[in-house]
Amino acid sequence: MPKTFAVLGLFDHPDALMQAIPQVKAKNLGRIETYTPYPIHGMDEALGLRRSPLGGMVLVMGVLGALTAFGFQYWISAVDYPIVTGGKAPWSWEAFIPIMFEVTVLFATFTAGLGMLLLLNKLPFFGHPVLQSKAMRAITRDRFALAIEADPELDAEAAREALRAAGAADLEVLEQEPPKPFLTSDFVLRTLGAIAIACVAAGAVMYGAIKLFPVLPPMSHMQDQPRLGPQQANAFFADGRSMRMPVSGTVARGHLPAATGTQDDAKTLSNPLPRTEATFALGKQVFTRRCAVCHGALGNGTGSLTAAYGAKPANLTAQMFRDYADGQIYWAIVHGKNAMPSQAAELDDKERWAAVHYVRALQRAQNAKDEDLR
Amino acid sequence: MTTQAPSSRLLLALAALGAVGVVASYFVTGPERFWANWIVWFLFLFTLALGCLFMVGIEHLVAARWSVPLRRVPERLSTLLLPVVPIGLIALGAVSVLYPGAKPEALQNPLLAGKATWLGLPFFSLRTVLSLALCLWGLRVLVMGSLKQDLTKDPAYNLKARRFAPVFMAIFAVVITLLAYDWVSGLMPEWYSDIFGVYLFAGGFLAALAATVLALSHLQAQGRLTGIRGDHRYNLGAFIFAFTVFWSYIGFAQYMLMWYANLPEEVLWYKIRFEGGWHTLTITLAVIHFVVPFFALVTRDAKSNAARLKWVALLMLGAHYLDLYWMIFPMLGKGVLFSWPEVAFGAFFVAGGLMWARRSMNWGEDMPVGDPFLAKGLEFHL
Repeated sequence: MPKTFAVLGLFDHPDALMQAIPQVKAKNLGRIETYTPYPIHGMDEALGLRRSPLGGMVLVMGVLGALTAFGFQYWISAVDYPIVTGGKAPWSWEAFIPIMFEVTVLFATFTAGLGMLLLLNKLPFFGHPVLQSKAMRAITRDRFALAIEADPELDAEAAREALRAAGAADLEVLEQEPPKPFLTSDFVLRTLGAIAIACVAAGAVMYGAIKLFPVLPPMSHMQDQPRLGPQQANAFFADGRSMRMPVSGTVARGHLPAATGTQDDAKTLSNPLPRTEATFALGKQVFTRRCAVCHGALGNGTGSLTAAYGAKPANLTAQMFRDYADGQIYWAIVHGKNAMPSQAAELDDKERWAAVHYVRALQRAQNAKDEDLR
Repeated sequence: MTTQAPSSRLLLALAALGAVGVVASYFVTGPERFWANWIVWFLFLFTLALGCLFMVGIEHLVAARWSVPLRRVPERLSTLLLPVVPIGLIALGAVSVLYPGAKPEALQNPLLAGKATWLGLPFFSLRTVLSLALCLWGLRVLVMGSLKQDLTKDPAYNLKARRFAPVFMAIFAVVITLLAYDWVSGLMPEWYSDIFGVYLFAGGFLAALAATVLALSHLQAQGRLTGIRGDHRYNLGAFIFAFTVFWSYIGFAQYMLMWYANLPEEVLWYKIRFEGGWHTLTITLAVIHFVVPFFALVTRDAKSNAARLKWVALLMLGAHYLDLYWMIFPMLGKGVLFSWPEVAFGAFFVAGGLMWARRSMNWGEDMPVGDPFLAKGLEFHL
């Protein structure tokens, strides 16, 4: 024999229903519930329903949302990856507020919506016994039902008596339906909870993995280009190099022409520096520092090292060197000549060309013309 | 009257004492401080009275029913607009003392010289007089009409008020914006904030709600307006709660945009208020204008709790004064000035305002008995 779920008493007027509630409640037969076509003021108090805990839940979750947003933003912008944006300090709380506000609203509304539907209303709720009742059509239109529901047992006869005594116009007994295990609110809540926990766990694992194993770089776009590493042969070009050599005679921007090729090739180079006092001062300084020790202060090959050193340095004032083009002297400074080492590493372009001017001055000083004396 | 005699005499004495202090302050502490105080109280009373009128107007605009039984309270409080008229006309004396745009030096500043017509005293006065006149028109249609309806019981007033309400909303928007631009941000004419009128509206409407709550609790303590229950109070509480949030939203939005852009002419307003004693005052304002009322009213029970509402309303009136003080007084200099002139002004205007408000509580019936929707409003359930 199926168990009784509830006895419905039907009333024609909301006032009759409201008057019946305390009488039926006093009999204490089971859980009291009402079904009406529209909300009736004072029903909550009459049924003695507890205050909904939703407000408190929303407040707690809202505050939690604000704190979450603040904590997360503080952590990403001031702790984990501090970057100065727009000239503001990384921990600028002002910039956090709009997001805190949004997350507060997000947490609060989700708590209010889902908490009401799933937690308190216990939706989804298929096949409530009252929906199967014959009176259902009238209840949604113009009748007001008071139900005594099994909690967990119900004495159907006593319930009928009580409702009739309270003035119910019609009565209906509802059978207990077998519970439907499909898609209950418990199931939905657990699923959502599991998804939330899985998301948080996956985030934490991902973060840990990236921090602990840098072999999984989060952003490797520039690193993963199809290019050759250092010392790797390139099959595309005949010489096997990846980078192309510049065309011969190429001058880098901002640099003076360099002496490449043989000393004779360098004849065509002309001294780019003007013959100013500053240039000669620099040339003298360079010559004294790098050249005079062998070539002598006058450039005549009688430097202080000559005695101790087997080789005989060139007498720069000799006719042969006076006939040199500027470029040839420059070439000798860059590449060295005979026993003379290259000065390329020690002197920059400007210093070399200044030294060339100074050598010219020395040559002229030792072979002065009549008009120089005037 | 006889039962209230002692407290009435106290108010009168307070107002008289305050008046002596007010006059003395002009000669002792100088005209600038006198006018700053005067403007604070002019704006306080004007925004409060205008906020009350707005409350009446919005009820007619949206055909609200719940507020019909307590409508007489904001209606009576909005008659404060009558004393505001002379206060506002006297306040025009401040224009050439405090407002840089109306001083002769303004012509040397190319920014101000270009706006000399707008900022100068003649047009400034014209705008103020027009604003006051428009408000009086609103008062006449909405409040005088309602008082007359007590006797005639003619529902034509409701139709007339409903047609007038949208017009009044436009008047209200223009008046409160002009009030904010002329009287407050006019103290710093290089400074701009498009939302400043809304900011002043949020504070003023909050003050109006607070005054309504206080007047309501005063009347109910005398056994009047007994038809107003927790459900009505809940709505008032919810309004106060909502507008503390709205005020902070506008205030913070205004601040954050300027803080982000960091333009010299914009941040100056906040730079002044983030230095020295003003910084403490800025934080205090945020706490008492937002944090305290927010948590005091956040629960459902608190919004309909008469005692809780009463002290929150008192706090909100104080917060509105502080808000206006915070807007106007930094113009006088770096230090926070608060001593006997401010107290005297407070005594004079609070006592005077209270005397007017108490008198006004006897004008007309306690509820708009001629309004056909009164019964509906009394039945109001949440």
